[in-house]
Amino acid sequence: MKINLRNMVLLAGGAALLGGCSTLGVKPWQRDVLARADMQLNAEPLDAAIDDHMYFSKEASSGGRGFAGGGCGCN
Amino acid sequence: MQLKRARCRLIAASCALLGATAARGQDASSAAADSPSGDWNIDSAIAYYHESGRIKAIEPIVNISKDYGDGNTFGAQLVFDSLSGSTPNGALPSTRPQTFASPSGKSLSAAPTTYTTSSGQLVSQSAPIYAINPGQLPMDPNYHDQRIAASGTWGHAFTRLLHGTAGGKLSYERDFFSMSANAGLARDFNEKNTTLSFQVNNEFDSLSPIGGAPVAASDYALFAKGGGKTKDGVGVMLGLTQVMTRRWLTEFNLSVDRFKGYLNDPYKIISVIDGGGNTTGYLYERRPDTRMRKSAYWENRAAWGRVSANVSMRYMVDDWHVHSDTVQLHVRWRNFDRDRYLEPTLRWYRQSAADFYTPWLDSTAGNHIGYASADQRLQAFHAVTYGLKYGVKLDDSEDQSSSQFSVRLEYYRQTPDNPRAGPGSLQGLDLYPGLEAVLLQVGWRF
Repeated sequence: MKINLRNMVLLAGGAALLGGCSTLGVKPWQRDVLARADMQLNAEPLDAAIDDHMYFSKEASSGGRGFAGGGCGCN
Repeated sequence: MQLKRARCRLIAASCALLGATAARGQDASSAAADSPSGDWNIDSAIAYYHESGRIKAIEPIVNISKDYGDGNTFGAQLVFDSLSGSTPNGALPSTRPQTFASPSGKSLSAAPTTYTTSSGQLVSQSAPIYAINPGQLPMDPNYHDQRIAASGTWGHAFTRLLHGTAGGKLSYERDFFSMSANAGLARDFNEKNTTLSFQVNNEFDSLSPIGGAPVAASDYALFAKGGGKTKDGVGVMLGLTQVMTRRWLTEFNLSVDRFKGYLNDPYKIISVIDGGGNTTGYLYERRPDTRMRKSAYWENRAAWGRVSANVSMRYMVDDWHVHSDTVQLHVRWRNFDRDRYLEPTLRWYRQSAADFYTPWLDSTAGNHIGYASADQRLQAFHAVTYGLKYGVKLDDSEDQSSSQFSVRLEYYRQTPDNPRAGPGSLQGLDLYPGLEAVLLQVGWRF
C-alpha cells in the first residue's frame, strides 16, 4: 500500500473514529432495549422494499441504506 | 400445540407464496439473525399503489428467512408487480390536439393495418396511436407491465466478530431483465457496540424496449429504432453502525455507484417549440451513457418506554448534477399491553434538476442537440409523504420474528420547483402538473 498524505489522513481518521467509538456503547447485559424488534435497523424489510421501489420509479435518487441500483425498468 | 403452530405456518406460507408472484431484492439477513434458531420466518404483504389520473399497481411481496443456529443465515424475497394506466411521454401540453403512437406503433397514421393470416383470414388492426386534447398533459393511456423478481442472501459468521454475506437478484419484465450479485463483510469491535461493514454490488441490465430502442435525439416522426440495449453498474458501500447508549443506535453509510451503457428512457420524448409556443415536432431524449452517484446516509433509532423513533437523512449527488436531500421520520407508539402500535411517518425530499433536463427544445436549435431529457423525474421538485401504520401482534414474542398483522396507508405529493414559463400560447397551460399518489399496504408476518 502506497503511503502518502491522503492515506495517512484516512488511517488517522479511521483510528480516531474507532477510538471515539470505543468510549460509547453498552455492556452485554444492557441490551434489553436494543433487542426490541422496533430497534432493528432492518425492522420492516417489506415496507422498505415497497417504499424504495416507489421512490426509485418517481425520483432521481435512490439507495443510501442499500444499493442504488433498481433491478427495475421503471427508471 | 407445537404441531398446530407448525401447520399454521405451513398453510400461511403456502398462501403467501400463492398470493405473491413477484419479488424484489432485499437483505433479509438481519431479519434472519433475529428469528429463533431453526424456524422459518415468513413476512408477506400486498400493496396497492394509485397515482391520481395515472398508474395503478398491485405488488404482492413475500420474504422468508432462517437462522440455522450455527452462524449461517438465509433470506429470500419474491415480488410481483402488475402496473397499468397512463404515463407521461415527456411532451408538453399544447393549445392544439396532439397525436402520438404507442411504443409498438410504426407511424402516426390513424389508418388501421390490414393483413392476411396464415389461414387466409383478413384481419384489420387499429393503429396503436392515441390523441391528446388541447391543454392536457400527453400521456400514453395504454401503459401496462408486469415484473417478477427474486433475490436471496446467504450470511455466514467466519468468527465471533467477522460476518460475511453473499447474494443475488433477478428481475424480469417484458422489456427489461436485470441480474445482480453482491457480497459484504462486517467486523464487530468494542464488545459488539461498533460494526464496520463493506459491501460491493454488480448489476447487469438488458433492455428490449417495445418497438425497439429509438435512436437518441432522433426525430420522433421517423420512428428510427434499433434493437436491444444493455447497461451495467458497480457499487460499493462503507458502513458504520454504533450503539450510542442503551436506547440509541446509529448507522452511517457512504456509497458510490457507477452505471454505464444505455441510460435513456426509450419511451420519453421532448416537444420542439417555436417562439409562439406552438409544437413543431418531437425528438427522442438523449442522456449521457455514464452516471456516477455518491450518497451519505445517516439513520438513528431510539426508544423510550412504549415509544420508539427512527430518523434518517440522506444526501445524494451525481455527475448529472442532481443533488437531493431526504429526511424521514417514523414514530411508533405501543399500547399498554404492547400488542398493538400506531406509527405515523413523515418524509420530505428535494432534488435539483439534472443539467440536461429541459421541458422543451427551441425549434431554432434544429435537431442537433447535446444531452436533453424532459423526463419529469429529472426536474427540480420537492415531495412530501405522510403515512400511518397500524400493527397488531399475533403472539407473545418480543423479537422481530413475532407474528404480526399490519395495515399501512401513505400519501405522496410531488411539486415542481422553479418551473420555467412557456412562451406564447403555452402561457396559461399547466405544464408541470406534479404528482399525487396513495399507497395502501396490508402485511402479515408469520
